[in-house]
Amino acid sequence: MIHRGRFYGGVILRILLVLLVGGFLYLALRGDPETGSPIRDYILRRGTEDTGALNLVTSIYLGYRAFDTLGETLVLLLAVSGVLLFTEGKK
Amino acid sequence: MKKTDILELVSRKLAPFMFLFGLYLLTYGHLSPGGGFQGGVVIASGIILLSVSRGIETAEALFPSFSLSILETFCFILLLAAGLAGVFLGVGFLGNPLPRAAAAGVPRVGMILLLNILVGLKVAAGVSLICLRFFREDE
Repeated sequence: MIHRGRFYGGVILRILLVLLVGGFLYLALRGDPETGSPIRDYILRRGTEDTGALNLVTSIYLGYRAFDTLGETLVLLLAVSGVLLFTEGKK
Repeated sequence: MKKTDILELVSRKLAPFMFLFGLYLLTYGHLSPGGGFQGGVVIASGIILLSVSRGIETAEALFPSFSLSILETFCFILLLAAGLAGVFLGVGFLGNPLPRAAAAGVPRVGMILLLNILVGLKVAAGVSLICLRFFREDE
């Protein structure tokens, strides 16, 4: 077969890519650092009391960081406006 | 696409439960995993399932594009109004204007619930609007 060499080369390349990405993920997810960050401790202690939400992720993205969420919805609004604008004439 | 009875029956029975699950994700986002964006996308996927399986005309008869775009912009305006309410009540833009509860068991979560529902309806309208428009382009 002519293409067999190229086929095995592709497979080896993909396996190397998977190992590389897996290595980076392993380095990144190796476990929690010993010392917690101050903002994490603050949110764990005061998050529910400050915003009222038991789910701390929600208390961040709608309580402490609600302005970010407003920006995200604005991005979605602009995307919808763009799609409606550029596909308007064609029916 | 070839339509079968199984596809039609399953999609017709499944879509209301997807809407229900999306609304659950919206209204319980402050207690459990979920929230506005996820719930909105689940509702939009129900609409997309209807339009894929039952045809785009059926989905547009149930959810007209005009109403969806009105819902999208109206929810954004309400979101801005809810943010401005915090300014007038002295807690800053998008702050929580509800009073801090004296008792420990009473959560002041109404603001987050309102924002979750607004964001979720807005995301549902936006994503389904984009997909309906692209499906119509495809035909």
